[in-house]
Amino acid sequence: MRISTVTMYEQSLSALNRQQGEFTRVGQQIATGRRVVNPSDDPQAASRAVQVAQSLAVTGQYADARVSARNALSQEESVLDSVGDAIASAKTQMIRAASDTLSDADRDSVASDLRGIYETLIGQANATDGNGRHLFGGYQDASEPFVRAADGSVSYVGDTNVRQQRIDASRTLPVTDNGKTIFQSVHSSAGYVAEAADGNAGNVTFNGPRIIDESDPAFGNAFQIDFQVAAGATTYTVNGGAPQPYEDGAPITVGGLSITLKGTPADNDSVTMDRASNMNTDLFKTFEKALAVLEQPAGTDAQKAARSNTINTVMRELDNSLDNVLTVRASVGARLNELDVVDSVGANRKLNYTENLSNLMGDLSNPATFAEVVSEYSLRQVSLEAARKAFVDIKGTSLFDRL
Amino acid sequence: MSLFTIGLSGLNAAQNALNTTSNNISNVYTPGYNRELTVLGERNAGGGVRVNDIQRQFDHYVADQLNAANSKASGLSSYQTQISQIDNLLADQDAGLAPLMQKFFSSMEDLASTPSDPAARQGVMGAADTLTAQFRAFHSYLQDMQNGIDGKIRDEITQINNSADQLASLNREIALAKAKNGEAPNSLLNQRDQLVATLSKRVDVRLTVQESGTYNQSIGNGQPIVAGTRSFSLEAVTSASDPTRTVVGYRDSAGNINELAEDALQAGSLGGLLAFRSETLDKTQSQLGRLAVSLASAFNDQHQAGTDLNGDAGQAMFSVGQPRAFSNEKNAGDASISAVYGDVSQLTASDFDLVVSDAAAGEFQVTRRDTGERFTATLDGNGEMAIGGTVVTIGNAGTLSDGDRFTLQPTRQAAGKMENLIHDSALIAAGQGGGSGDNENALAMQDLQDALLVGGGATLNGAYASMVGDVGNRTNIVKANLQAQQGLSEQLRAVQQSESGVNLDEEAANLIRYQQYYQANAKVIQTGATLMDAILGLR
Repeated sequence: MRISTVTMYEQSLSALNRQQGEFTRVGQQIATGRRVVNPSDDPQAASRAVQVAQSLAVTGQYADARVSARNALSQEESVLDSVGDAIASAKTQMIRAASDTLSDADRDSVASDLRGIYETLIGQANATDGNGRHLFGGYQDASEPFVRAADGSVSYVGDTNVRQQRIDASRTLPVTDNGKTIFQSVHSSAGYVAEAADGNAGNVTFNGPRIIDESDPAFGNAFQIDFQVAAGATTYTVNGGAPQPYEDGAPITVGGLSITLKGTPADNDSVTMDRASNMNTDLFKTFEKALAVLEQPAGTDAQKAARSNTINTVMRELDNSLDNVLTVRASVGARLNELDVVDSVGANRKLNYTENLSNLMGDLSNPATFAEVVSEYSLRQVSLEAARKAFVDIKGTSLFDRL
Repeated sequence: MSLFTIGLSGLNAAQNALNTTSNNISNVYTPGYNRELTVLGERNAGGGVRVNDIQRQFDHYVADQLNAANSKASGLSSYQTQISQIDNLLADQDAGLAPLMQKFFSSMEDLASTPSDPAARQGVMGAADTLTAQFRAFHSYLQDMQNGIDGKIRDEITQINNSADQLASLNREIALAKAKNGEAPNSLLNQRDQLVATLSKRVDVRLTVQESGTYNQSIGNGQPIVAGTRSFSLEAVTSASDPTRTVVGYRDSAGNINELAEDALQAGSLGGLLAFRSETLDKTQSQLGRLAVSLASAFNDQHQAGTDLNGDAGQAMFSVGQPRAFSNEKNAGDASISAVYGDVSQLTASDFDLVVSDAAAGEFQVTRRDTGERFTATLDGNGEMAIGGTVVTIGNAGTLSDGDRFTLQPTRQAAGKMENLIHDSALIAAGQGGGSGDNENALAMQDLQDALLVGGGATLNGAYASMVGDVGNRTNIVKANLQAQQGLSEQLRAVQQSESGVNLDEEAANLIRYQQYYQANAKVIQTGATLMDAILGLR
């Protein structure tokens, strides 16, 4: 075929252009550090990379969420620790107070210790996080969840919500517990609590109740023991049943429970027994009851009996509250453990995504890819040089030179 | 007859041949030049040589093939120049939309951790501002390309008209020259063929050579732009179906302007622009818009389901541009059209063409532009109908007449008007009525990240990824086609050049050859003279 001079120039020029283009492209890959620079370089990889980059970012986002969840739970954990300690030392004070040999002055000092603990507890219940947000108010975190009325009684004004946070794609974790759960509840498995009626005129005190037979058909019910004193004979009825003769110091067994009553009841005196969850579950009310009997000297036998009965009830209630706080604390611990587990899963996933992304984009930090690119770079350089040489050679040959 | 005449004819022929060779050498790099050959023939009476023709080496068949190949290549090349701009836009991973959407969702996560913290709330507003700004910037980049294409169409049309004019006047000059000398000078023929080549690169023209040798050119569906010594002009006109867009109009001999069907203008740089605009640019812009609408509507719904710090119901979080709809200016009736978003999960990234098929019943034949799918839609009692995620209202429906046309662009302009509407951090609705520590709505908004919001089948990020994949694929295909087409063009060009191109070595050889030829003929005359002297010397 005839080759025209123009064709010779054009063809070697276009070869030169092509080689230069390829060379520049590889150079750009090295400069950007990845093989896929434009989506058109590898549309599937570029599109997948957008997805994987999001998965990677979301993994990071959940890791951030776990950091703040861990903060919140750790704060709660440390508050619950001190609450538990406070309840335990309140129990110790109550054991001191229960001793009959204690003088009124001693009891006063017990009372003032107890009041100190009480104030601490209120403070803990209204604890705030670093941002001044109250930990135990549910969603009502802007103001104190436990407020004191004019008469000194404490009530909960928060709500029963628990803030959740998404810590992983398929898991939202409660990162708080509300004040009602912590300070005003008892565990559902808590046993029986007995309480003497406020207006008892006699000096009956109780000990117990103890659970002796959980299989009793009436077990689980509430029982009220009422006393009748008529014509010198003292009888009692349980939940308005048939009157039984009362014997001082003898245990009364009913519905699988056994309670020992001592002292002399007056007509219409009564003692109630019920499951803890149906009795007072409010830790602060427990303290108020205890302080009320300890801060007033008991003169009459009836008053002494009332004090002894209240201390008895309060000790049961403190035990139940402590159990409850420890249960919540255990659940906080379990949640913190879960965060650790999810963290390690998340770290693994992050590693996978990073690797995946680097493969998709042909990241040059991968030695194999880097070697590939560098060798291509040298190859292109050689080709470009060859094209240049060919151009010069073709241009250099002309018959005119020899005329 | 005599050595003198024979020698003279030879000298003459040699001079002609040397002239032709020199002309070939001097025009070796002239675009459109075709190699010439001196065709020699014997003289009939008395011997000697004569120059039969200075022949132009031109092959119509090869030239036609080359022009067609060049036309396609130049169309693909202009397509590629345009689409690379979008490809480059999407190449920037850090400034793309995906990282900003991600940041916005991260700010929701911060809000869920500390729902009443002013810093977290400020973070949400900041992320929303950046995100919407990026949507607008993306949109305006694409809109600038739309405007740029309108301008380029105008330029192309001017150039095409110029070439057509020149071609018509060359037709005239060539006819005149022929009438005068019986033959047209090669230079004029070269110029005319070069014009055809130039024109082919701008638009796919069809060439018909009449018996007289006159060139006629037509484009599109056979509209002539050069007929003998007349040329007809193209004009850049505003589309009747979309007043925001410039299209190619053809002024016929009666002086009426008709829009040329775009699918009839496929090749040439003009065709490439039109194809890019309808296949890629419109679609990308609509995809972006659909992403904006899906995001805005999902967030607005969720935000409005929540409660802000003041205890009030949440407000709309984002605003976006509304769907655009136009009635064709050639419609017989003067019914108007407007549209608002309906069920956004039905939104597509396509435009729709509506044609009235039964005016009395308010029935429309609707064509989805990207897939070509057709369906009918009928106006309900309120004069409304649902089409592709929008609710279309026809005003003045009484004046509808059969065949009236409307255009619906559901999402094309949506991203350009995307704004964050929340500028007071207290107005962010993180909760659902629970109080300042309530983060339920923030969690619900965070969950939108995994929700299939776009077209009912893709997450926001998934939709963006498919946009990236789409543009990447198209760019890739265009690049590959362009490479193949350029290879073909180069080959044809080599074939054409092997026939019509000048080879300097060959001309150098010819130069020597014809120089010797000249010298030899001179020798003949000298010999003649010597012979004559010999005769004259006889005394």
